[in-house]
Amino acid sequence: MDEKPSVLVIGGGVAGIQASTDLANRGFQVYLAEKLPSIGGRMAQFDKTYPTLDCSICILAPKMIDCFRHPNIKVLAYSEVKSVSGSAGNFTIEILRKPRFVDAARCTGCGQCAEKCPKKIPNEWELNMAGKKAIYMPFPQAVPRVMTIDPENCLYLTKGICRVCEKLCQAKAIDFSQKPETVQIKVGSIIVATGFDMIDPSKFPEYGYGKYKNVIVSLEFERLICASGPTGGHLVRPSDHQKPKTVAFVLCVGSRDVKAGRVYCSNVCCLYSAKDAILVKEHEPDVDAVIFYTDLRAYSKGSREFIDRAIRDYGIKYIRGRPGEIREDHETKSLTIWYENTLSRKVEKLQADLVVLSVACVPRGDTKELAKVLGVELDEYGFFKVADPLYAPLDTTVRGVFACGFCTGPKDISDSVAQASGTAAKAAEVSMMYARAVPRAVKKGG
Amino acid sequence: METRMEDAMAKTNVRYCLKCGKCTGSCPLARVNPEYSPRQTVERAILGRKDQILRGKGVWWCLTCELCSERCPQEVRYPDFIRACRIEATAKGIEHMCAHGGMLAELQRAMTSPEVKQDRLGWIPKGAKVSGTGDLLYFVGCLPYFDVIMEKIKPDSVAIGQSVVKILNRVGVTPAIMPNERCCGHDLLWTGEVESFKKLAKLNMDEIAKTGAKTVLMSCPEGYRTLKLDYADLFGELPFEVVHTSEFFSRLIDEGRMKFDKSIDRKVVYHDPCRLGRHLRVFDAPRKVLSSISGVQLKEMERSRAEAMCCGVDAWMCNSNSKQMQIERLREARMSGADLLVTACPKCQIHFRCVMSEKLPKSVFPVPDEAKIDVMDLSELAAKAMGL
Repeated sequence: MDEKPSVLVIGGGVAGIQASTDLANRGFQVYLAEKLPSIGGRMAQFDKTYPTLDCSICILAPKMIDCFRHPNIKVLAYSEVKSVSGSAGNFTIEILRKPRFVDAARCTGCGQCAEKCPKKIPNEWELNMAGKKAIYMPFPQAVPRVMTIDPENCLYLTKGICRVCEKLCQAKAIDFSQKPETVQIKVGSIIVATGFDMIDPSKFPEYGYGKYKNVIVSLEFERLICASGPTGGHLVRPSDHQKPKTVAFVLCVGSRDVKAGRVYCSNVCCLYSAKDAILVKEHEPDVDAVIFYTDLRAYSKGSREFIDRAIRDYGIKYIRGRPGEIREDHETKSLTIWYENTLSRKVEKLQADLVVLSVACVPRGDTKELAKVLGVELDEYGFFKVADPLYAPLDTTVRGVFACGFCTGPKDISDSVAQASGTAAKAAEVSMMYARAVPRAVKKGG
Repeated sequence: METRMEDAMAKTNVRYCLKCGKCTGSCPLARVNPEYSPRQTVERAILGRKDQILRGKGVWWCLTCELCSERCPQEVRYPDFIRACRIEATAKGIEHMCAHGGMLAELQRAMTSPEVKQDRLGWIPKGAKVSGTGDLLYFVGCLPYFDVIMEKIKPDSVAIGQSVVKILNRVGVTPAIMPNERCCGHDLLWTGEVESFKKLAKLNMDEIAKTGAKTVLMSCPEGYRTLKLDYADLFGELPFEVVHTSEFFSRLIDEGRMKFDKSIDRKVVYHDPCRLGRHLRVFDAPRKVLSSISGVQLKEMERSRAEAMCCGVDAWMCNSNSKQMQIERLREARMSGADLLVTACPKCQIHFRCVMSEKLPKSVFPVPDEAKIDVMDLSELAAKAMGL
């Protein structure tokens, strides 16, 4: 074991970043493993946060950088946890570091390589609404600021031709000889903060996602309305890049839905859709924004006020009713939403040019595999199971392994961050108990 | 099978309703009939307004097409709830919508008497091989009766049965057919006459046992649902397998026994009958049969498979709302680019032919021609493609 007591944090979203930074500030050695090439997680994809309407990446990016630069944190981005052995106080972890084919020590992130790379591929980070090159920076504020080559699409790695990036790179950072590398670390405790995914919206054929271009999910909307997103923040609909006249938001798509296997409320949609509708109005005041809700679940302080503001100050229309179906006009590509207004008790239809579905939030796709590696149990929905929902909401079913944020169930940013700090304290306790050296706190960012 | 509203409420998840209205937003009837809302019916049930439900018209309006329950996030089985309400209303002697002057229902009731002797074999094509007993029984359903009762619109329903028999003979099967087959009881069950339904079911089960059939082949999805689900509900596991013609043909194609040597050069669109599709989840088999026929260009309607719109009628209870829905569905079929609408339900076919034969007021349907399309049953088209 390291001289310093140490902790592994899995997942580099806002919760993982918070837990890592808390621990590092207390003098613990932290390893932060992130599957993707950059830390940042979901919050990096959002345009604004609620209820303050802060620019999401603007408040997250400094935290990402602090985390990355912290002398007590080793960020292992583009890495996967492959095996875990031992027990609380003495875990041995094997982590697979995937090759970027770019020397991180040399790359300046100038992006010239990407400009000249001939291979264009879909950009998953932008939910495939934009393209990227086979050598790419995941997003402009990515941390670490290192280019990555997609091995499945790079012409040299797949067909043995090209090497344009290598010729161009003045820093001589391109390194096609990189191999996957397994590193072994020893830690006293583990924090899981793997976040969430969205349910497959094509499970709801009545809403036409995938079939109708102008039906999108809310994460797509976040990118669409974001100044650094695929449209430069212009509110346009995907079919013809024209400004919509009416944008409709449909809540509870798969949430509170026994049939979809998601009985739970996704917790964040009522608020973020109010925020999204406000963004519509801020961008284009003459566009109508309509929200279809089942029940308004705005329970925390400031939430109800936020929705009231959306209605009163921005003129956003709320309709109580879960739409039955959405159909496209094949010529105009506009959409007809059929619903019962359950307050006026009438069946009505609404014409919208863009429909945004708030789909249920679900565990990350690879949660099962990670749970197997960690030896922890999952709950009935596939989230990490907590040892006790009342008294041990941050403990998993294995001692010394903690979990925070959305990976144990729906939570907003503020709750995730609070939980992250909680797990940091719990993990510190376990790691300290077994460590030889007592940690000495360092100055933040020092 | 629940026969009282309260029992059904417990069994069909009615109490779990979120009042989200997704059912009513989906219901094809609620779009043409502003008085109708499945959600509001459920709400009334939860509020204990039983009399209002049992004595209201809405309970008879429901098409029981299952589009609402297909989408209900709480898995409320609304059509099953409605059926129980109809049964209880009937038991209480509450009068309801009378279909076709009660003629069809009267005929169905008549068949509940064990004394009634029918000769139901007159339609069998000359030279066809059929038998009284055998491994495979073809349960014909009410096709011959339809041809007589609906004569005005020329339903030609027996053509479906004739096609099935010809196809079976061609693939080397001599089907058993029962000369004294009864109505399966579907319509009486769904209009609340559960006792008559039970009598018919018992008579049919006895007749089927006499044939020694291991497989019962159905060309009518309503009969298919009734035997497979409702008879099984009544008698427990059935001593025979029940299959629909589309599934049976699909199997024959897999085994290489069914060959289509005549090309049918038409753009075909398939209408999913509610009972075959949503009720019994048979979506692929009919499409597989159609796409195995050379020359057929298979189209899809905007709303197909589990999303399909109902033909607008349940148990013959037809009104102007039904007509509106039928016109809409036929328009959708035309919009798909098809020139032939194939269905696998004799009743859907009759309802579509009926609305097309009518002179509808221009005020209601400005362009009735938009909704004109040839309609045919899957078995008939399959037989044609086999040169039969």
